[in-house]
Amino acid sequence: MIRSVIVYGLVSSAVLALTAMGFSLTFGISGVANFAYGAFYILSGFLVWALLNYLKFPFVLAIVVTIGVVGGLGFVTYWSILLRVRGVVLSEVIATFALGVGILELFRWLGFVTYEFTLPSFIKGMVVIAGVPVDYQRLFIIGIALALVIFLYFFTHYTRIGLAFRGIAQNERTAISLGIKSDLTGALSLALGSAMASVAAIVILPLGIISINTGYEVLLIAVAVGIVGGLESVPGILVASLILGYAQVITGTYLKPEWMAVVYLAAIVLVLSIKPSGLFGKFKELEERV
Amino acid sequence: MKRVVILGFAFLVLVIILGHAVNAHSQPKAVDPIIIGAPSAMGHPNVLSGWKALQMAAEEINAKGGILVGGVKRPIRLYMTDTRDAEPGIPVHDALLATEKLILERKPHAILLGPLRSEVLLSSMDLIAKYKVPFIASQSMVPLFQKKISDEYDKYKYCFRNSSNSIYLVMYLQGMMEFMKKEFGFNKVYIVVQDVLWAKGTGEVMQKWYKENGWEVVGFDSYATGATDFSPTLIKAGAQKAQVIMVQTDMPQAGILAKQAFDMKVPGLIVGQIVPVAAGNAWKTFGGALEGVIITQYEIGSPPAKAVPKSVDFVERFGKRWGEDAKNSMGALGTATAYDSLYILADAIERAGTLEPDALVRALEKTDMSGAVGRVRFDKTHQVVYGFDPKETAMECAFQWKKPGRRVVVFPEKIAEERIEVPLSMK
Repeated sequence: MIRSVIVYGLVSSAVLALTAMGFSLTFGISGVANFAYGAFYILSGFLVWALLNYLKFPFVLAIVVTIGVVGGLGFVTYWSILLRVRGVVLSEVIATFALGVGILELFRWLGFVTYEFTLPSFIKGMVVIAGVPVDYQRLFIIGIALALVIFLYFFTHYTRIGLAFRGIAQNERTAISLGIKSDLTGALSLALGSAMASVAAIVILPLGIISINTGYEVLLIAVAVGIVGGLESVPGILVASLILGYAQVITGTYLKPEWMAVVYLAAIVLVLSIKPSGLFGKFKELEERV
Repeated sequence: MKRVVILGFAFLVLVIILGHAVNAHSQPKAVDPIIIGAPSAMGHPNVLSGWKALQMAAEEINAKGGILVGGVKRPIRLYMTDTRDAEPGIPVHDALLATEKLILERKPHAILLGPLRSEVLLSSMDLIAKYKVPFIASQSMVPLFQKKISDEYDKYKYCFRNSSNSIYLVMYLQGMMEFMKKEFGFNKVYIVVQDVLWAKGTGEVMQKWYKENGWEVVGFDSYATGATDFSPTLIKAGAQKAQVIMVQTDMPQAGILAKQAFDMKVPGLIVGQIVPVAAGNAWKTFGGALEGVIITQYEIGSPPAKAVPKSVDFVERFGKRWGEDAKNSMGALGTATAYDSLYILADAIERAGTLEPDALVRALEKTDMSGAVGRVRFDKTHQVVYGFDPKETAMECAFQWKKPGRRVVVFPEKIAEERIEVPLSMK
């Protein structure tokens, strides 16, 4: 049983990391908490499904188009909605949350409530690891989560845009004085975060079906992982995902599965009371010390 | 001569006017439709299917001229309203307001479908009592519905239900388990339920029953609505060598459980109510990962049972009317029963010969007809009787997913079409 816990704890952690990374990236760079994140996740699922089933796109093309469209939607969201309320945190949250609810409830109104909406697995089949059967799709989730982390590291350390992202994240005014465009960087961060929501949806949704309510749950997961790890920290997201992922599987296996949902909330309360900026968060660290 | 012509013309005009007046006076009821209200949670797949079935029944009856009321055939006119009671965060009173608006605006002679959520159905009963509108519910299973009628008959006598209820659901589960114990010698079960009242209640009743009937319950897990990882349960069920994993859930994410069990090669047989994998298109949706899964279905119709020809006929006509996609996504509860409900009402109206509510209630109580779900009769609590013989009662069923995507009725024995197949690893 312990081997199963280790393997499926890792899968669960990878799912959490993949789900939360885009949300964390956007917040870390632009300071915008994109509460439409869960809606973009579900939108991606339905878009791929529609491209595959209505327009008969090849799977790879459907994926590329969807990531592009949802990333573009993130970019447009910044310029059309967030620019006007930029800096007013509560307004940013209300604006993005309203957008998210609007998108999700639009799908409900359009009748996307039945159970036939799902995405195909990349490769069918399974492999036995240390005596534990695991399907290929779950291995893809682990692999793509790792690949995204590595991509983000190189992107933010070795590309002009990535360095601009970090500059804005570290000190926006100084970055502006060096010629970095704050709003363009913010819009790009929202686009990249939305595209990552899209990647997460395309990889994770084949495990089950596309359900509108999942959009709200994805947002809760992203916020929980972000708060525990530190909203702007990629290593923090990884560590938080491992903690929460294993805590969930251990709770479900050795205690009761109905308490698995409590793990998120308990972790949020615990971290906020001990280290409000999160395990790896830097933004409010100085304020906390003072 | 001229005077004769004028008088004759005047007489002719008089005859025509009088003729029209008499005609208009004698036939107003022939064109007055019978108004049927259909308040329900239209955003839920089950209700969507039920609404389609109801429209189909109305079209069929109207094509034959309508319902005979006191010697005059009157067409049916349906009015739907969305109570949204399946959506998260919708308060009960919002759903009730929608229902009351329908009653006040449309003044229906009867109400069909009805709310999906138990608490909304129970609260709606007071509205029905207030306005005295005969009501046949087909979308909710809460047993308290019957208790209210039994406790205060005069108040709630307008309420009827032709879909199944949780008590019958448990009866079928127990019958199914007895059958598998006898057939395969199974006696180890792992119970998995969604953390909601109906599913937990069903799980607890079954847990007690298992223990009293020689089964070993090796685990009992409940998952919060929206859970997406069921590996803890599947790990434990595998380790404990459970032969049956009994599942009770209606959340969309529950499909992951069946697929994950398939991927993890868990040897136990999955049996129970997993709504997302019950529809005809689920095999395709889950890429064939459902082989061997047994679903206890709240009513026959999805899938039809060959032993009940009306169920087969109903499904075929549903497919012709709404298309194959609609047929394959037909809900687990409330489609065939929604269809039957209009025929039950039409039969009662014709026997009563009036639309007067109390007379209709008396006629409904005497219902005894053959429907798409089997024989339809109401008991004293206004609940249609479900059992194991379609000649005697209405029917639920259990079906098993078999290659290449067939839903085969395997229980009860009177309507079973093939034997249950157990996974190779359990033989």
